[in-house]
Amino acid sequence: MENAEKPSISRKQAPYPLVFMRFRPAWAYIDGIREFGRFFCQTTFGTQELADRACVVLQETLENAVKYSSNSADSELELSIESDGSNIEFSVSSLPDASHLSSLREELNGIQTLDPEQAYLAAFIRASNEPEASARLGLARIRYEGGVELSMKEETGGRIRITATGKL
Amino acid sequence: MSQFSGVQVPKAESIAIQVTAPNQVKLSGTITQKDPAQDLAGFFKALHTAALADKLTEVRADVSGLTFVNSSAIRLFVDWATWVKNERGHRYTLRFVTSRNVTWQKTSFMALMSLAKDVLALEHVT
Repeated sequence: MENAEKPSISRKQAPYPLVFMRFRPAWAYIDGIREFGRFFCQTTFGTQELADRACVVLQETLENAVKYSSNSADSELELSIESDGSNIEFSVSSLPDASHLSSLREELNGIQTLDPEQAYLAAFIRASNEPEASARLGLARIRYEGGVELSMKEETGGRIRITATGKL
Repeated sequence: MSQFSGVQVPKAESIAIQVTAPNQVKLSGTITQKDPAQDLAGFFKALHTAALADKLTEVRADVSGLTFVNSSAIRLFVDWATWVKNERGHRYTLRFVTSRNVTWQKTSFMALMSLAKDVLALEHVT
């Protein structure tokens, strides 16, 4: 892409998301939003590597959010992408089933005790040893392949926000 | 006739699958459905069983054209590697043909290698 066509990201924009979306938690939307994220990162930041990382982060965070969303009317997902010029932040807010919250918290705490590569390998070993259990590779994959750190914030009304932050 | 080449190929959304005698399966496209095991777990198991019946020494799984998959799909490759690893009798080498240009393949197949390096091989294409 020509530089003249590349949108500029300034620090002045940092408090405002570059992307903000709100949508029903439907699986059918994930492919389209992931591919938009790929296009957006490639176009805005000009690197294929970041575009690929964005795809992993978006696919896996949105899958988790959709899979475990409650059926209530206010369960829309919110996705934002922000950057301060040095880092990029992907944030997904959702209203999960209460039953999912403790396992998510436990999974996040577990993978953060290891470095990203070791945590991903440990998730492979667990999947291999527990063939009947669900894969649970997603969060470790986000950290390792997405090159981001993950955090979870519990918000009012039972909503949670998963934030993935990494270098541009 | 080889059992391997006679394995029924599933009709799966967004993915093209080709089985070629005597020992090659090629997958291309994307795998991002909610439960890819529904389409693919039985197929991979059938390939594994056929490879054992044919006493193959190697199965070539060419995934270089799989441009993106979700972690549920990666789980299916973990399962296949685990079946071969846990085989007590005849075993074959499961050789994944991967692309250097596809990010998920670089990270995930390196992790898979460390899980079962005695039965897996990686071959890189551009």
